[in-house]
Amino acid sequence: MNGFAIVLASEELERVQAVSIISSVAAASEIPVDIFVTMNGFRPFEREVVENTDFAGGRAAEAMMNAEDVDVPLFTEQLEQAKSLGPLSIHACEMTMDLMDKELEDFVDLFDGKLGVSGFISAAEDKQVIFV
Amino acid sequence: MSGESYNPDIVVDSRDAACPGPLMDLIGKIKSAESGAVVELQTTDEGSKNDVPDWIDKAGHELLETVDREDYWSIYVEKS
Repeated sequence: MNGFAIVLASEELERVQAVSIISSVAAASEIPVDIFVTMNGFRPFEREVVENTDFAGGRAAEAMMNAEDVDVPLFTEQLEQAKSLGPLSIHACEMTMDLMDKELEDFVDLFDGKLGVSGFISAAEDKQVIFV
Repeated sequence: MSGESYNPDIVVDSRDAACPGPLMDLIGKIKSAESGAVVELQTTDEGSKNDVPDWIDKAGHELLETVDREDYWSIYVEKS
């Protein structure tokens, strides 16, 4: 298994959370994962959005945020834990950041750096690509 | 064999955590454990109770037993 390259282009919390769960368990199991955050996928990583838990999403996201009897770790916590356990890299799409006039400091401290499309293709060339 | 017979070297209390919390907690502890160490993972999450053994098998460790404690499960694992 050469690992997964995941393109995250959605801001919906349930999709981001699913990406986080799969990536975290894979990386912690020593399966390399590269997540390429692009387009609307950036919004859930914005500091203000995370601080205010102001996420977009549907019914699953609502159920997750309102869960009272179980502790559902937010994707930010999962990804941070996974990065300490295995080969997980999170890349920020340079084009989208330029387009939206954002800097890495605008987001929670999970990104390894900015990456262009050629860089992503290089990182993804031996991996299974998943588009979310 | 009853789970009461195991004397775990490490106990991981992940009760009340949803998927994949218990599995991530187990992986974190098992990585730093010595080979042959017995780890007890405590979970209230039924999905994890079913999913964690798949990971144990894939990772090459040994599932010793899953014990139903009525309000949680104890999953005993021996590190390879």
